[in-house]
Amino acid sequence: MGMVFFKRLKGLVLPLALLMTWEMASRQGRAYALTFIPIEKIGRSLIEITLNGELLTNLLASLGTASTGLLIGGTVGLGLGSLMGLYPRVDKIIGPVFHSFRQVPLLGWIPLIGLWFGNGCLAKTLVVCLASFYPMVLNSYAGIRNIENNHLEVCRVLGASRWQTYRYILIPGSLPFIFIGIYHALAFSWISTVGSELLFTAGPGLGGMMQTAQMAAKMDIVIICVASIGIVGLLMNVSLAKLSGHLLRWRSTR
Amino acid sequence: MNAISTAKRLPIPADALSLLAAPLTMLALWVLVTRAQWVPEQLLVSPTKVIEAVGELWEAGELQGHLQNSLRRLFLGFFSGAIFGLIFGVLMGLSKSMEDYCAPLFNAFRQIPSIAFIPMLILIFGIDETFKIIIVAKAAFFPVALGGYDSVRGIPKNYLEVAKVYQCPLWPLIKQVVIPATVPQILTGLRLSLSRSWMVLVAAELMAADSGIGQMMEWGRQMFRMDIVVVGVFITGVIGFALDYGFKWLESRLARWKTG
Amino acid sequence: MGNLIHPDFKRSAKSLSGELSIQSLHKQYRLERNYLNVLENINLTILPGEFVSIVGPSGCGKSTILRLVVGLDSDFQGRILLDGKPITSTSTDRGIVFQDHRLFPWMTVWENIAFALVNSDLSSAEKRDIVALNIERVNLTGFANAYPHQLSGGMAQRAAIARALVNEPKILLLDEPLGALDALTRLYLQAELQRIWIEHRSTMIMVTHDVEEALFLGDRVVVMQANPGRIKRVVPVPLDHPRDRSSPLFHRLKDEILADLIDTDSTAEAKRAKSLALRSDLG
Repeated sequence: MGMVFFKRLKGLVLPLALLMTWEMASRQGRAYALTFIPIEKIGRSLIEITLNGELLTNLLASLGTASTGLLIGGTVGLGLGSLMGLYPRVDKIIGPVFHSFRQVPLLGWIPLIGLWFGNGCLAKTLVVCLASFYPMVLNSYAGIRNIENNHLEVCRVLGASRWQTYRYILIPGSLPFIFIGIYHALAFSWISTVGSELLFTAGPGLGGMMQTAQMAAKMDIVIICVASIGIVGLLMNVSLAKLSGHLLRWRSTR
Repeated sequence: MNAISTAKRLPIPADALSLLAAPLTMLALWVLVTRAQWVPEQLLVSPTKVIEAVGELWEAGELQGHLQNSLRRLFLGFFSGAIFGLIFGVLMGLSKSMEDYCAPLFNAFRQIPSIAFIPMLILIFGIDETFKIIIVAKAAFFPVALGGYDSVRGIPKNYLEVAKVYQCPLWPLIKQVVIPATVPQILTGLRLSLSRSWMVLVAAELMAADSGIGQMMEWGRQMFRMDIVVVGVFITGVIGFALDYGFKWLESRLARWKTG
Repeated sequence: MGNLIHPDFKRSAKSLSGELSIQSLHKQYRLERNYLNVLENINLTILPGEFVSIVGPSGCGKSTILRLVVGLDSDFQGRILLDGKPITSTSTDRGIVFQDHRLFPWMTVWENIAFALVNSDLSSAEKRDIVALNIERVNLTGFANAYPHQLSGGMAQRAAIARALVNEPKILLLDEPLGALDALTRLYLQAELQRIWIEHRSTMIMVTHDVEEALFLGDRVVVMQANPGRIKRVVPVPLDHPRDRSSPLFHRLKDEILADLIDTDSTAEAKRAKSLALRSDLG
């Protein structure tokens, strides 16, 4: 018990040192104080923008973009990957197209999307859809291909229909891979949300808020945004881990 | 399901054909669509225009200039970030107490996407070269550090025990056991960080720069020169692909003993 | 050839079905331009409620016979009749237990066994009763909610057996069911299998490489030879149930069958050596 406590303490040393360095830097003079805003001011700004709802609005907007993009891109990706995994014909036709599109980096799509869809919510959501799409396709494909032939034989012997095989064997059996896909898609969706908000400046969102604050040289708001982005990302990971831990509890813990 | 079939031998392996088929088809489609003017010029430029733009930029020396600047920043940032990351990661893997001290802060910073740091760094360092190199270094740091950490932790105890039984002295131990065991993961970490660094750099240049591929794209967009934007997109993709591919080749040579 | 039935063999009204008739069964694999005879002229009649063991060297096609009977493979020449009707593909009146238990890792023991009833017309209450009954039958009561990764090899195999029995198949096929288990678990499960068979009295056909196991469980032992796969002979086992492994007759039968198998092996070896010599003569 004591060991864990000490370990936690040790972990706090560096962060505290960082905070202290920051605080010291802010006291070095006026110019520094503008950049390295004192921690107390950051705290006050935090309270201010929480109370006036600015933080919440932008946070919710970002979350909205992220979840919409993840839902749409992830579902389409899941569907396509599963189809490709289940039907070799589809795989042969669509596979090469998919893989060549995949080579184009997401960043490359952004200018084009900006040109075609403007600067606002639609463009951002589209970017997020794309970002969540690829990992879901790849991983659901792998999940389906990974179902052992042995299990499929058992289905045949027991007389299970095609639909029953999907429901009882293919879907639960490919869940581990699908969860890996969701994990990556989740991470990418959040990163691409922030990225697209930084590049497409219309509309609310943490990225946009951060961009505006940077233009106005308001470091305190920038830091609050950065911290919020990190915390949301962490919460997403933790919840996904818990969910997959429960749904995949049938896996051997070895 | 496992049919034993004898494949006919084509002069070119079938795989290469199918690999090229899709991109070539899409290229053909692109030419077709723009030729037929199904989509207005502003939205989709024709490939010929793009090639002309390449020529234009090349002659003006702009293309080389942008490329030079971008690549210079990339390598400066990547090397500093990677070296620090490697040392840091390996140390964290070797020393439990260092891990205890550093891990929480490390993980906290790792959570935050590199691009989210851009505004903050701009405020601290201005929009000069420094901030771009630092952001690239940040993007490079974490995957390499993780690779170093994982590889050190991942050295199977069994190997170390064997070395101990044979009374292996420190330097040969490092050279013949530790390094070969850790190289594959470190190389993978390096490869990932290189790709990420490139993307982050272009993103940073898109946001705030006076030169570089990203800036070229942004300038093109503001001037409604779609062709220049497409040139930028292509170059970004090609360089990213080349870096990735080159590293994979390096991995396959240096980590040959690792099967599959 | 050896359709002797032990006088002790009781036929209950239920087990009047489950007669398997294999007639002139041939199977070949095509390898490039050659044909490989996997099974040649297999003729076997198995009476309702019988327990027949099949032993033979590797490559003699014994597992292939099971796959053909259960319907996983329908490429063969000859006839396979169940109660007079030719089999076409898989069906719940033929069940199979594989060497690897093949339980679905994401289902509990209960769910795995219940899955076999996925297409049955029974009500859910009836299904519940049958699943519970079979779990008890294989002595896994209390483990119904365990996941396969939590079970030992022997327990998982017992669950697989329960899953195969739950549809009350006319024939239960067992493909080296105990091959993956350690010696002690194997002995225990052999006794369990015997008990289940005595209670259930459905026709059972078991492939094994363990001659003692074949004798312990079977009313008849079919000895096969390889290259090509053929029935060498069928040995009736006129011993009382439960079998006594130390009885002199048991040992004698075991020695006979082993001699048969070794002889087959050495004959096959001799054949191979001869054909090699021939080829080098010509080439």
